[in-house]
Amino acid sequence: MQLQIQHLIPIPLREKIQSRTSGIWNQQVVFGPGEWVKIKAPSGTGKTTLMNMLYKVRHDYEGDILWGIRNLKEINGVTLAEKRQNEVSVIFQDMRLFPNLTARENIELKRVLGTQMYQANKIEEMAERLGILSILKQPAAICSYGEQQRIAIIRALMQPFKWLMMDEPFSHLDKENTAKAAALIAEECTKRGAGFILTDLDDDDHFAYTQHYTL
Amino acid sequence: MLHQLFQKIIRSGIGRSRRIMASIGLFIAMLLIFAAVQTQVNYNELLHGASNQDSIANFLVINKKIDGNVRDNTLTNQQVSELQQQPFIEEIGQLTASRFKVSAQSPSDNFPFYTDLFFESVPDKFIDVHSKDWKWEEGSTSIPLIIPNQFLDLYNFGFAPSQNLVQLTQSMVMSIPIVLNIHHQGQLVQFTGRVVGFSDRISSVLVPQNFLLWANKRFSSQAAAQPSRVVIRTNDPGNPQLVEYLQKSGLVTDADKTRFSKYRQIVNTIVNASWITGATMLLFALLVFSLFIQLTIAATKTEINLLITLGTSPKQLQKFLLKQFLPINIFITVLCLVIVAMLQWWLATFLKQQSMNISPLVSYFTIIAAAIILLVLWFVNVRTISKYIKQTEV
Repeated sequence: MQLQIQHLIPIPLREKIQSRTSGIWNQQVVFGPGEWVKIKAPSGTGKTTLMNMLYKVRHDYEGDILWGIRNLKEINGVTLAEKRQNEVSVIFQDMRLFPNLTARENIELKRVLGTQMYQANKIEEMAERLGILSILKQPAAICSYGEQQRIAIIRALMQPFKWLMMDEPFSHLDKENTAKAAALIAEECTKRGAGFILTDLDDDDHFAYTQHYTL
Repeated sequence: MLHQLFQKIIRSGIGRSRRIMASIGLFIAMLLIFAAVQTQVNYNELLHGASNQDSIANFLVINKKIDGNVRDNTLTNQQVSELQQQPFIEEIGQLTASRFKVSAQSPSDNFPFYTDLFFESVPDKFIDVHSKDWKWEEGSTSIPLIIPNQFLDLYNFGFAPSQNLVQLTQSMVMSIPIVLNIHHQGQLVQFTGRVVGFSDRISSVLVPQNFLLWANKRFSSQAAAQPSRVVIRTNDPGNPQLVEYLQKSGLVTDADKTRFSKYRQIVNTIVNASWITGATMLLFALLVFSLFIQLTIAATKTEINLLITLGTSPKQLQKFLLKQFLPINIFITVLCLVIVAMLQWWLATFLKQQSMNISPLVSYFTIIAAAIILLVLWFVNVRTISKYIKQTEV
C-alpha cells in the first residue's frame, strides 16, 4: 500500500505555509510501499498536525491524503477501524495510554483488538528488550514518560501493519534505550515488509532511512 | 479478554447509583404495564370467559317502551334490521304472535280453570328450555307449551294462598293436560296442550314455531302482523353501548340484566386508565434509560474516542455497550414477568373463592407485550449507542 499526499494544506497554518517552501506541505508526495521515511521538522512547522492528518484524527485540511487508492476522507467507521487494525499503526507523541489500565493491559488491548498477530508472551519478550518488564503491572498513569513511551512503542508493534506512523517516538528516551527501541521497530517493520514515517526535530541515524523530507 | 479491557476502561463512566436508578424506573414502569395488560385480559376473561357465562344474561327480550300515547308499538322492519346491524348484537329472533283466538281450560272438573290465551313463537335456538317433547308435526293435536317461570310463581305465591288452593310443583304442572280451543269461523278446533318447560328468558306462552306458522295460516283471517318483541343474543348484556342504543331508540329490555352497565363503564375507565398510566410510565422509563446510556457514553467520551483512534470498530464498541445494558433490561423484563405471574396465580386463587374464574397463568398477551417491550428496549439501546458513538467519532 502506498501513501500519497496531494497539495495538503492544514487550514490553521495556511498563511504560515504559503510564506515558505516545504517538502511536504502543498506538494505532491508519494511514499511507496515499504519505504522508511524520515520527515525532519523544526518546531512549529506542523509536524504533529501532519501525523494526525495522516492517521485521520484531524480533518481540517485542504488537499488530499490517499491510503492506497482510497481518499482518506472517504474511509470511515468500520472500514477505518479495519485499516487501523491491520494496515496502519501509530505511535503518538503524547503516547495516549489509558491511565487506569496497567502497562500490560494497554499493550494487550491492541494485541486482541483485531487479528491477533502475536501470542501474549510476546508482550513480555518485547518489554524485556526495552527494559520495562518490571513495570508491566503498574497503571500507566504512574509510569514515567520514558516508560510510557516504550509502552506506546510496544503497543504499536502488537498488530499487523503496512505503515507505522511515529511522531517523535524517542523524545523521552536516552541514547541507549533509543537504540534498543529503534532496533526493535526496524526488526518488526522488516518482518512485515512495512514502511514507516517518522517525524523528528533533527537529523538522526536511528534507522536506514530510504527517503528524507523536510517539512 | 478484550471485553474485560473495555469494561475496565468504560466502567468508570457507568455510575452505580445512576444504573440502579435507571433500572428501578424501568422496573416500575414495566411492572405497571404488564399488570395493566394482565388486568385487561383478566377483565375480559371474567366478562366473556366460558366458565363465567350466565346463560340467561346473554339473551334479552326487547320491545318498545309503552308510554300510553302510541297505539302501535310494533317494531318496523327497518328497526329490526337496524338492530341486526349493531355490533353488540350477535343474533336476533323475532317473536311471532298468534293471530287467532284461543282459550285454555281444564279437562277435569276436579281442577277447573278457564282462560283466554295467546301464543307466541321464536326460533328454537333462542329458547332456554331443552326438552325432547318440544316438537310438533302437522296432523298432531298435541301441542307442547313453554310458559314463563313467573307464571308459576304468581300462582304459587300469590294466587294459590289467597284462594286456598294447592301449590303446584313444576312436574305437577307438566303432568296436567290442557284443553286448547281455537276459534275458527264460529267453530271450535280442539287441541291438547302440555307444558314441557318453564322459561326464565321469555315471558310469553311459547309454542313450536312450525305449529304457529301453520295455525296462523290455517285459522287466521288477519294479515301477518309486525312483531312487537324480539329476542337478541348479545355477548355482553352489560355493554354500555347496548344500553345507550336501546335508550336512544326508545326500546326497553329487562333492566335487571343491563343494570351493571353503569358499573361496567366505571370499571372500563379504570382499566383503561391503568393502561395509559403504564404506557406513559414506560415511555418515561425508556427516556430515562436512553438518557442513562447517553450519559454513560458522554462520561466516557475521551476513552471511547481513544479506543476508536486506536482502531476499535464502532461495531465492537456497540456490541460491548449493548452487553452492558441489555442484560439488565432482559433481567428486569423477566423479573417483572415472574412477579406478574405470581400475582396472577394469587389472584386466581383468591377469585376462585368468590367463584370467579380466571386463568392462574400469565396470558399470552402479557408475554407478547413483554417481547415487544424488550424489542423496543433493544431498539432504543442500539439507536442511542450508535448515535452517540458516531458523535464521539469525529
